[in-house]
Amino acid sequence: MLGKLIKHELRHSARYTLSIYIAVTVISAVMGLTLLSKATWMGVMSCIALYAAGFIAIIVTLVSVIKNFYDTLFGRQGYLTMTLPVKCSTLLLSKVIVSFTWIVASFALMGLILIMVFSYAKEKSAGYFTMISDAVSISGILEVLPSASTVISLLIMAALWAVITIFTYVSFVYFTVTVANTRRLQSHPKLLGGLIFLGIFSVNNTVGNLLTQYIPLTFNVGTDKVYFAFEQMGAVEEALLSYGVAGTAFSGIFAFGLLCFTGFILENKVNLK
Amino acid sequence: MSIIHVSSLKKSYGRKTVLDDINFEIAEGSVVGLLGPNGCGKTTLIKILTGLIKDHSGTVRIDNEEPGAYTKSIVAYLPDKSYLPDWMRPKDAIGYFSDFYADFDKEKAEKMVRDFGLDEKQRLKTMSKGQQEKLNLILVMCRRAKLYILDEPLGGLDPAARSFVLDLILDNYAKDSTVLISTHLIGDVERIFNRVLMISGGKLIVNSHVDEIREKGKSVEEVFKEVFSYAW
Repeated sequence: MLGKLIKHELRHSARYTLSIYIAVTVISAVMGLTLLSKATWMGVMSCIALYAAGFIAIIVTLVSVIKNFYDTLFGRQGYLTMTLPVKCSTLLLSKVIVSFTWIVASFALMGLILIMVFSYAKEKSAGYFTMISDAVSISGILEVLPSASTVISLLIMAALWAVITIFTYVSFVYFTVTVANTRRLQSHPKLLGGLIFLGIFSVNNTVGNLLTQYIPLTFNVGTDKVYFAFEQMGAVEEALLSYGVAGTAFSGIFAFGLLCFTGFILENKVNLK
Repeated sequence: MSIIHVSSLKKSYGRKTVLDDINFEIAEGSVVGLLGPNGCGKTTLIKILTGLIKDHSGTVRIDNEEPGAYTKSIVAYLPDKSYLPDWMRPKDAIGYFSDFYADFDKEKAEKMVRDFGLDEKQRLKTMSKGQQEKLNLILVMCRRAKLYILDEPLGGLDPAARSFVLDLILDNYAKDSTVLISTHLIGDVERIFNRVLMISGGKLIVNSHVDEIREKGKSVEEVFKEVFSYAW
């Protein structure tokens, strides 16, 4: 059933986001064509349009996560979704997976846009890039940069951080929408939902910052390796970059707890209007 | 054997009691009318039976189970509002039901969509209200469910359309299953009921076999008028 739920959830949510992805594809094609012409202004306009499309894709995706969750569970479509022969936990899991997928896709799209614009600029201004590259070589910056394996490890950790952050956002949104649509609060769901979101966001940030500050566990990037250290941020002298992980770990656990609670409310306290 | 068992059911919205100490059982294979004026608690009772409302007191059992994933697999529910998303077309809706309900007859649904003049590629947002209601009913009646719960299937329809809908229900429900129809339009449907439940002010006022009513020389509609003129 989970696979079928994901399939239909993807189809439903694609309506919000697919058009923006099509727009990006068209603009990219236009930008590719401007490479053949000498009209620089067209290329510049395409770059601006691409940045804008990427930014809009992220915003549209984040908003559609909220709208889709509300519409399919607490709007009139809730009568269809909530009477499906599946457990609420399975329903919730399918929504988390699909929302997560779309958010990752929107950020991946932004990444792709940055690469495309960079490649385009490099192609159009090869002389400047050679100059910058020479300047970097002469300055000796490359010698203190981390090795390739360190960069890969760093990217893996950054990906893990991104996963936790996206999961936290999705979980906060689902919890907020669900609680705001319980019987006692559903008279003013938008206002109360906003306050609830602000509340859990503040708790997450405050506790996360305190834990990061007081729990001596850091992820560190050196020139030839990445490593964890039981020391405060800033105390690891040889590290190029030091990041306190206690706050992020708390966010992950907090988000998971809220998601479980959301499942409990959906299972036991749902009150469809 | 009873397909629905409700005991000491109570549901309030704040201080307002919507259902108060409701007790009844419905045997398998019967066609039951859930009757009462607008706002008497019929839809709330149906939402509880279908698992859309959980915060109530008392016991509710469908086929000996509390409302949940199993009961949803054996209950075909028609809400009193259009519940399919606007972007869907009849073929999407049929695919959706076919994916989730093992008892859904896809071929029959496709045939009925054609027979009733619906375009399987037309989006719901461009359909008339009547066409949407037809589609909703087709989807529900093409399941071989143990229990059909139809909330106001005749509401807002003209007499010709009511007759069409009733025939659609009678011709298509699985004969060994139970049908619970909520309505306040008694005259049109009383011919199909075996049993009637009448609710007023959140209380179950009448729970009677239709034959018992007729033995007293009355019609269901007459009893309805008596009960509700008294209850109001």
